Amino acid sequence: MIAELGHLLAFLALAAAVGQSVLGLTTGGDAVRRLAFACGMFATLAMVTLIISFVRLDFSVALVAENSHTLKPLIYRIAGAWGNHEGSMLLWCMVMAGYGAAGAVFMREGALRDRALGVQGLLTTGSLAYLLFASSPFTRLTDPPFDGGGMNPLLQDPAVALHPPALYLGYVGMSFVFSLAAAGLINGQIDRDWARRVRPWALFAWSSLTVGIALGSIWAYYELGWGGWWFWDPVENASFMPWLVSAALIHSLIVTEKRGGMASWTVFLSVLTFILALLGTFLVRSGVMTSVHAFATDPTRGLVLLFGLSIAGGAALALFAWRAPTLKAGPEFDPVSREGALILNNLFLAVAAALVLVGTVTPMILQWLGESGVISREAASLSIGEPYFQLTLAPMVAVLLLFMPLAQAAPWRKADLNPLLKWLIPAAIAAVAGAMVAMALGGWGVWLGFGVLVGVWVVVGVGQDILRRLGPGGLGRVFRLPLTVWGMAIAHIGVGIFVIGATVETATRSERTFPLRPGEIAEMAGWTFQFQNLEQVEGPNYSALRANILASHDGRTEIIQPETRTFQVARTSTTEVAIRKTIGGDVYVALGDQLREDPSAWRVRIAYHPLIDWVFGGAGLIAVGGFMSLVARLRRKAPAEKPADEPAADAPPVPASAPA
Amino acid sequence: MIAPVIALILQAAQPAEAPLPDPALEARAQALMREIRCTVCENEPVSQSTADMAVDARRRIREEIAKGASDSEVRDFFVSRFGQYVSFRPPVEGWTLALYAFPFALLAGAGMFMGIRAFGRRKRDLAPLPDDRSEGAG
Repeated sequence: MIAELGHLLAFLALAAAVGQSVLGLTTGGDAVRRLAFACGMFATLAMVTLIISFVRLDFSVALVAENSHTLKPLIYRIAGAWGNHEGSMLLWCMVMAGYGAAGAVFMREGALRDRALGVQGLLTTGSLAYLLFASSPFTRLTDPPFDGGGMNPLLQDPAVALHPPALYLGYVGMSFVFSLAAAGLINGQIDRDWARRVRPWALFAWSSLTVGIALGSIWAYYELGWGGWWFWDPVENASFMPWLVSAALIHSLIVTEKRGGMASWTVFLSVLTFILALLGTFLVRSGVMTSVHAFATDPTRGLVLLFGLSIAGGAALALFAWRAPTLKAGPEFDPVSREGALILNNLFLAVAAALVLVGTVTPMILQWLGESGVISREAASLSIGEPYFQLTLAPMVAVLLLFMPLAQAAPWRKADLNPLLKWLIPAAIAAVAGAMVAMALGGWGVWLGFGVLVGVWVVVGVGQDILRRLGPGGLGRVFRLPLTVWGMAIAHIGVGIFVIGATVETATRSERTFPLRPGEIAEMAGWTFQFQNLEQVEGPNYSALRANILASHDGRTEIIQPETRTFQVARTSTTEVAIRKTIGGDVYVALGDQLREDPSAWRVRIAYHPLIDWVFGGAGLIAVGGFMSLVARLRRKAPAEKPADEPAADAPPVPASAPA
Repeated sequence: MIAPVIALILQAAQPAEAPLPDPALEARAQALMREIRCTVCENEPVSQSTADMAVDARRRIREEIAKGASDSEVRDFFVSRFGQYVSFRPPVEGWTLALYAFPFALLAGAGMFMGIRAFGRRKRDLAPLPDDRSEGAG
């Protein structure tokens, strides 16, 4: 019965979504709010019924039979509900309807809420219709199997169980930002009040997207067994593009909110972010590329997505073209000012997103042209990977980050550059010193030096800005600073820490593969590894080959146990690496294959990943900063409307461009 | 009598993955291993894989570097056998040069356009708006 109940709930959600969109775009009123709330509830309950089917291992449900197994541990039975195409589509619908329900609860009533819920209703209608008529997760089997087909064992990992929900909160969250932009355009009201109301949604979606991407990266590092955390894989790039554009958006929203400027650009970014999120989904789901997400590939799904993408994108851009001429320019400002700095930020982030887009789709387009015979196979053969992005994106981001501490400290409307630069001399000294130390320790590479220089500059510069804001009151004022300032500072420091970690890790990691027979010794990075023996270990739904390796370092000795796990049901194997944390980084040991020529020897990959925790920690701080800014917004009462060109009328007098 | 000899030969054919004695050469070799694709793997460079193709490729890279080959000669060696697909670094020549140039051209073009407009209309009489401490930077 439970699957039929889920099916019914999904239909009820669809009906509510249709009502929500019709009423939201016409009469508006309280009924829209109730329908949006109902739609969110129905979709959530539908997801709950699917999870129940997975937990109860109801193999009469086709999806459960295909994707679960009696031997699977409980947490992965739950995660299994979204570890496949149909289930993840339901999760998508649930999150989308959930954003509508959240809008119904949190937004104050008015035309913006009605229209936004109406547009969100349209998007939800499309998603639910696709779910119900093209990929229903509730289909029953007349002849249920005795046991299920299991899940891709690579996905049996805590980080990746939470990766899709977080990613969807981000990706699909952009749909609500899109709806708010469309609503503002329909109402002809894109102003400071609009920006103030959009910003919490954009912040939440962006921060969630950050968490989702970081979880995927952590999973790649721990589970895939090669010690990489980012490989410029199309799947990764697909989530990175909307991240870049929404990062630009949360900055341009500040200008629109505080100064009333950049309104049309901000709306454009709001629309673009969701289009890129859809494009990313299309790239992952349509089968134009293969990856661990391959469960989701199917050309017809790709066509449906492309169709939806064109309609949503085309309609929004048409709305934009219609209303853009009516959008007012903000008050005047000098190019050297916080407005100017934020425009610079947007320019760089937008070009970075364009770069990632071109770098991702060019090989796919070439491959497609080659397969359809338009160009020769040789001409179609191209890969774009890390070396390319290192040469193009890295310098661009580095230059952008050089401006970060300046931008944070610059006053609105007009800034005086000279005192700002003088004030940041300590940060500059620290940056040069840090770069020297890093290069002395890690080899005299230009990349290493420049990356650390930029990272330290950002961390120290942001720290200086906090000290400046604390003012003469010093530490006594720590808790008096607004939470938004802390949110910004923590996110920006996270960026600096991430950059230091990423550069040092990329420039100085070392890896080697040793063929080892029992008793043999390998030495690396000051550690000695003695390969002792192999043993067979049985897990809940896999059998593992576990190596016992005696690792010695600084006179201390311990046994580390990397494994390869073979999953009988899925007939695949995964690597469980053994990782030892040290202050400077991770020692990472993975068990590879048996040597063909010498069955007594096994390949053991040993790698040293310096400062890897700075990479994930930096990403974590970025997300924490984003959520803190959001909390700050929610705690503050909505201020009454003020004239657009006097945003700081209620500000206490502060010494102009106060540095010094 | 003959079996141990064969075993010895086989082992010689699969030497331990010893790093090159010169650390500078080894660093170059490792950098190259990160940009040559393991053709039997799924989106991985040869540095990261334990597949036989990757092991062979790593040995080949070290051999070529030890023989004094330049980085681009090693890349060309692989590209001539497996096609451009094998290299994660698009060539900095021909039409793929545009891939490297366009982001900077876009940045410079848009930046100059916006800069000229903004500085051209610049007014001298604007005063700074100090940070709103109650709202912070936002």
